[in-house]
Amino acid sequence: MRDYWLGRLFFDLQNSPAVAEEYRADRGRVLARYPLKPEVRAAVESDDVAYLSQLVNPYLLRFYFFMIGMPDEVFIGRLRAAGAAAAARSSHG
Amino acid sequence: MARLAGVFASSHAPLLVRGWEHIAAARKGRLAAAFAELGRRIARARPDVLIEIAPDHWVNFFIDNLPSVCIGVGEVHEGPPEPWMRDFPQPRIAGHPRLASHLLTAALERDFEPSVSHHMKLDHGFCIPLWKAGLDAIPALVPIVINGLEPPMPTVRRCYAWGALLAEAIATYPEDLRVAILATGGLSHSIGEPTMGEIDEAFDRECIRQFESGSERALIEFLNEHLPRIGNGAAEVRSWVAAHGAAAGRGFELIDYGPVPEVYVGCGFASWDLGTSAAEDNPR
Repeated sequence: MRDYWLGRLFFDLQNSPAVAEEYRADRGRVLARYPLKPEVRAAVESDDVAYLSQLVNPYLLRFYFFMIGMPDEVFIGRLRAAGAAAAARSSHG
Repeated sequence: MARLAGVFASSHAPLLVRGWEHIAAARKGRLAAAFAELGRRIARARPDVLIEIAPDHWVNFFIDNLPSVCIGVGEVHEGPPEPWMRDFPQPRIAGHPRLASHLLTAALERDFEPSVSHHMKLDHGFCIPLWKAGLDAIPALVPIVINGLEPPMPTVRRCYAWGALLAEAIATYPEDLRVAILATGGLSHSIGEPTMGEIDEAFDRECIRQFESGSERALIEFLNEHLPRIGNGAAEVRSWVAAHGAAAGRGFELIDYGPVPEVYVGCGFASWDLGTSAAEDNPR
């Protein structure tokens, strides 16, 4: 599943250094311009890698967390935890 | 008439640039040697025009309108927009609109329907191999994007057919031009997924063996079976498949391959021996 506006936010941050700079300075001001669902916006604000990974292209996800400065080992750790949790849910039907 | 003067392939991992200093010395030496050999082989082909095939990493296209295949017909292309590519030596790269338009027309006449772009930005997927290969001068460039990032993607079979189409189209282009093809992407890697950082060396080595075997059907069946089950980055091997199709499935020569954990990618480099006429034209 793709959340269009989440993807659009990440795409714009990737392709506009000015927007990326503004975002780093004031996340809320940029987020206000995107009609994100409340739960999606909350996930962005809390750096919820696992939740966001279900909604956006993985390359845009990787770019976004790189852009906001999350170290790769933290990002990868959260992805793996999300994958393990999903596998556990799957195995429990 | 134009002629196909060389076919090449390379990986293009971003960390080959922005993480170069963190790669272990031995691996860095091998990568540098592979890129240098790639550059030597491209230079030996003396291309007037380079058709470069790569995916777009969310630089030109978004899910508003996402082409499976797009041909860049512009007179000039923008260099890489990524901030960490700022030292790439050419902020703008000349295109070759006449050949690009010929490819576009030839495709449509053969019932292929590519998208077209008159103004394309060439991201790291296009520019890292050009940069690292150390070419003295970048030939006029016709970029072709094959979607390898966002499903649905063109089938492996179609990518092979695209390569064959390119070879045919080059052979019918009336100007006396030497045209080479450089395909970039892959081999195995995983980006933004729970398997990020994992490199499937067994897949990569079998993939290389399939290219070497020259069996179109076996290669396509192998990739159809394995691509859905491994890291998303391997989808970029579609570029290599198109190059293989352009070389009629023959003459694959591995320059080097090695898993490079620091860049999260199984890095591969290759060229295709195009046979007698090309060999006579390109003495080694």
